[in-house]
Amino acid sequence: MDPARPLGRPQIDVVAQLGVSTVLLGGIYALIAVGLTLIFGIMRVVNFAHGEFLMLGMYLAFWAYTLLALDPWFVLFVSIPLFFGLGLLTYVLIMRGIIHASHNVQIFTTVGLSIALQNLALVLWSGDFHTVRPWHAGAPIRVAGTAFNLSQVVAFFIAIALTVALFAFMRWTHTGRVMRATAQDRDAAILMGIDTDRVYRITFALGIAAVGAAGVLVSPLYAIYPQAGLQFVLLSYVVVVLGGLGDMVGALIGSLIVAAVEVAGSYWFGTAWKEIFYFLLFIAVLVFRPAGLFGQRGAETLGA
Amino acid sequence: MLALERLTKRFGGLTAVREVSLEVRAGDLLGIIGPNGAGKTTLFNVIAGYYRPDEGRVVFDGRDVTGRPAHEIARLGLTRTFQIVKPFGNLSVLDNVMIGGLTRLPSTRAARADAERVIEVCGLGLHAAARARALPLALRKRLEVARALATRPRLLLLDEVMSGLNPTELVAMIDLVRRLHADGLTLIVIEHIMAAMMRLAQRIVMLHHGEKLAEGTPREIAADRRVIDAYLGEEFVLAEA
Amino acid sequence: MRRALARHRGALLLFGAAALTPIVVRDAYFLDSLVLILLWGSLSAAWNVAGGYAGQVSIGHAAFFGIGAYSAALAGARWQQSPWLGMLAGIALSLVAGAAIGYLSNRLRGPYFALSTIAFSQVLLIVASRWRGFTSGSEGIPVPFRPGFATLGLGHVAWAYLALAVALLYWGIQLWLERSRFGYRLAGVREDEDAAQALGIPARRLKVIAVTVSAALTSVCGTLWAQYVGFVDPFYVFSVDLSIRFALNAIIGGVGTALGPFLGSILITSLETYLRATLSGVQSGFTGIYLIVYGTMLILVVRFFPAGLAGLAARLRARRAGAHG
Repeated sequence: MDPARPLGRPQIDVVAQLGVSTVLLGGIYALIAVGLTLIFGIMRVVNFAHGEFLMLGMYLAFWAYTLLALDPWFVLFVSIPLFFGLGLLTYVLIMRGIIHASHNVQIFTTVGLSIALQNLALVLWSGDFHTVRPWHAGAPIRVAGTAFNLSQVVAFFIAIALTVALFAFMRWTHTGRVMRATAQDRDAAILMGIDTDRVYRITFALGIAAVGAAGVLVSPLYAIYPQAGLQFVLLSYVVVVLGGLGDMVGALIGSLIVAAVEVAGSYWFGTAWKEIFYFLLFIAVLVFRPAGLFGQRGAETLGA
Repeated sequence: MLALERLTKRFGGLTAVREVSLEVRAGDLLGIIGPNGAGKTTLFNVIAGYYRPDEGRVVFDGRDVTGRPAHEIARLGLTRTFQIVKPFGNLSVLDNVMIGGLTRLPSTRAARADAERVIEVCGLGLHAAARARALPLALRKRLEVARALATRPRLLLLDEVMSGLNPTELVAMIDLVRRLHADGLTLIVIEHIMAAMMRLAQRIVMLHHGEKLAEGTPREIAADRRVIDAYLGEEFVLAEA
Repeated sequence: MRRALARHRGALLLFGAAALTPIVVRDAYFLDSLVLILLWGSLSAAWNVAGGYAGQVSIGHAAFFGIGAYSAALAGARWQQSPWLGMLAGIALSLVAGAAIGYLSNRLRGPYFALSTIAFSQVLLIVASRWRGFTSGSEGIPVPFRPGFATLGLGHVAWAYLALAVALLYWGIQLWLERSRFGYRLAGVREDEDAAQALGIPARRLKVIAVTVSAALTSVCGTLWAQYVGFVDPFYVFSVDLSIRFALNAIIGGVGTALGPFLGSILITSLETYLRATLSGVQSGFTGIYLIVYGTMLILVVRFFPAGLAGLAARLRARRAGAHG
C-alpha cells in the first residue's frame, strides 16, 4: 500500500492525502528516531546496528503472526519488555565496552553487530521477503476524501503514544532527569555521583525497546527481509541530525520533515526513486546543517 | 617580527579577545599571563591561524597573515604548541619529531637525521624509539617542543608548557626554554607558573577578560596594581633571578 | 637490500607462493580462489589507503568499485570498447567521486563521515538499478568475453598473474605510504589533525588526496573484477556488504599495514570458500552463518586485537627474537 499514490481527485484532496500520509509516516519515524536520539544524545555512540533491531521487531511480529496467529498489536505489548531486555543484554555484552573507545572501534563494533544480526535473520528466516497481513492491513479508512488503511492509522497513534510516554518519562521522572543531565555533561554527571553505567544501560534499553516496538508496528506496512533495517537506519540518522542530538522534540519535527520529503518525493517522482531522496537529504543535512535545524547541540561531535 | 593590531575574536555573545595589540621583535621572549578564560589560548589560536579574527590584523615578518590557514602560517615560520599536548600517539618519538622536520626537508632520511639532533637538544635521546603514547607527561611536553623545533620556526608559541610538571621537571623545562632563547629563537610563552615566567620573560603582557590589561618588564608587572588585583593576589616579591 | 628482503620475508613468501601456484596447480577452482584472494586483498589495500593510512574510515567504497565495474561493463557491452578504456573512464569518474567524498571527510567526523559514505554508495546503487535506459536497471549487465589481453578476456592462469601483479603493485603503494614523506605527513594527519597543521602540514588537502587515490585504486579493481566474473549486478557492486568486506579484510589483517589487507583476505576468502563448499546443499540460509562469524570477528578484533593478524605476527616475531636475543 503506497500512501503516496494519487487518487485522481481534485487538487485539494491530493494535498490532504499527502499531508495525512506525511503525518502518519512521520509518527512512525518519530518512534524510531526518538530511541536513536536518546542513545546518541546520551551515550554519544553512533549505533550502526540500530536498523537491525527494527528488523528484528518486524520478524518477531512475523513469527508471532505465522506461528501463533497473533496480531502485531498484541505482540507489541510483549515486544516492549522483550526488546528492553535485549537492549540490556546488548549493552552489557557489547556497547558498554565501546563507550569510551575510539570512533573506529565504535563504528566497526556496531557494524559487526549489524552484520551478525542481519545474517542471523538470514539464517533463521532465509532471505525471502515476508509479509504480515493481519485484517487491519487491508481495512480502509476514508475520511474527507483521503484514504488510508487501519494499520497505518493505528501504528501512528500507538507510535505517538509511546513517544509521548517516553517524553514524559524523560521530563518528569527522576531517572529521566538524570539521563538528561548525563547527556548535557558527562563529566559533571560523574562528579555529581551519577551512576553513568546505569544511565547508559537504561538509555540503550529504552532506545532498543522503542525501535523494536516500531518494528512490530510497521510490520504490516513494509516487506520484511534481513536488510530491511538499512533504509531505516539512515533515515533515522537524518531525523536525529536534523532535530539535534538528544533533542526529542527535534526528533519529532525532524521525522515530519523527512516524512514530508519522502511523501512529496514519491508523489512527484514515483516510488522507485523515493529512497534516493532521503539519502540525498542525509548528505545535504550533513553538509549544510550538521548542527540540526535548531542549534548547536552535537555539532561539535559531527564536525571535523 | 610579529605585530598584532587590535585583534578581536568573538564567539557568539562572548568576546574572547578584545582589541589586543602587541609587538614582538626578533629575539624577544614575551610572556603572557592571566587568569583562566582570559583569552590567552584563543589569542594563540588566532595568531596561528586556527581561528579567524573578527577584527584586527596579524602581521608576521611584515606579511599580513590574518585569516591564513594554520598550516600556511606554520610554513612561514610561526609554530605553536598545544596546552593539552597532542602527540602523534601511535608513532615513535623519533617519528613525531621527524614529521616536524618534513615540513622543510624533502627527504625522510634528512628529516630523520635532523630529528635525532633535535631530540638530543631537548633531552629526549633515551626515548627516541618509544611510542609517544607511552610517555609520561613531562616527556610529552618536551616532545611537543621538540616536534615544533624540528620545523625550525622563527617564532615559537609555547602554551603552558610547564603546567603539570613537578619541580625537577620544571627546572629542566625552564632550562630548555632558556637555551632555545639564548640560541636565538623568538618566543611567546603562556604560563601560570609565575616563578618560571619571571625568570624567563623579558617582557610580560597580562590579559584579562580578553583585554590587554598591562605590559611591562617582570618587575613592573609584579608591582602593577591592576595585575595584582586581577591575578597575582598580593604583593609579589621578586627574588633575584 | 638484504635488510629489505629480511624485513619483508613474510610478504615475499606469500607472494612467491602465489606466483608459483599457477605453475604447480592447474585446477581451475583453486586458481579461481587464488584470483579472488588477490583481488579482494587488493581492494582492501585500496581501502586501507584511506581507512588505514589516512584514518578516514569509509563504509561506502563499493561506490568506487561499482563505478569501475560499470565502466568496464558499459564499455564492453554498450560501446564495444576495450575494458582498459573503461578502466580509464572508471578511474576518472572515481577521482571525481573520491574528491567529493574527500570533501565530506573534511566536514564530518568519524561515524558521521562513515554514514555519509554509506548514503553516497546507496545513491549510486539506486541510480544504477533504476536507470534502465543506461545501465539496464536492476537486471545488471553481462560483460562480454572476447579472448585477448586488450579485451581482458583471459584464462585462469593469466588472470592469476594479472591479479598477482595488481596485488604486488598495491602492496608496494602501501609500503611507499609507510616510508615516504607524503606517508609520514599523512600519518601525522591521521594521528592528530590539529597538531599536523601546526607543523605546516596541509591536512585537509592530504586527506582529499588519500581518499581520491583510494577511490581510483578501488575502481581499477572493480573493472578487473567485472571482467573476471562476467556480470555486473547493481545490488551487489554497490552494496554496503561489499564496502564492509573491503574494510573487514584490512581490519582483521591489520589496518594501516601493507600486508594486513592481504592477510585478512587470505583468511576471510578461504574461510568463505570453505564454508560455502561444506555448507552447500544445505538451505540457503546457512550461507549467512559465515557472515555472522565475520560480524563477530570484527567486533572481537576491533576491541581486543586492533593490530589484527599483522600485529599478532609482529608480536610473535618479537617474542621469538627476544628469546634468541
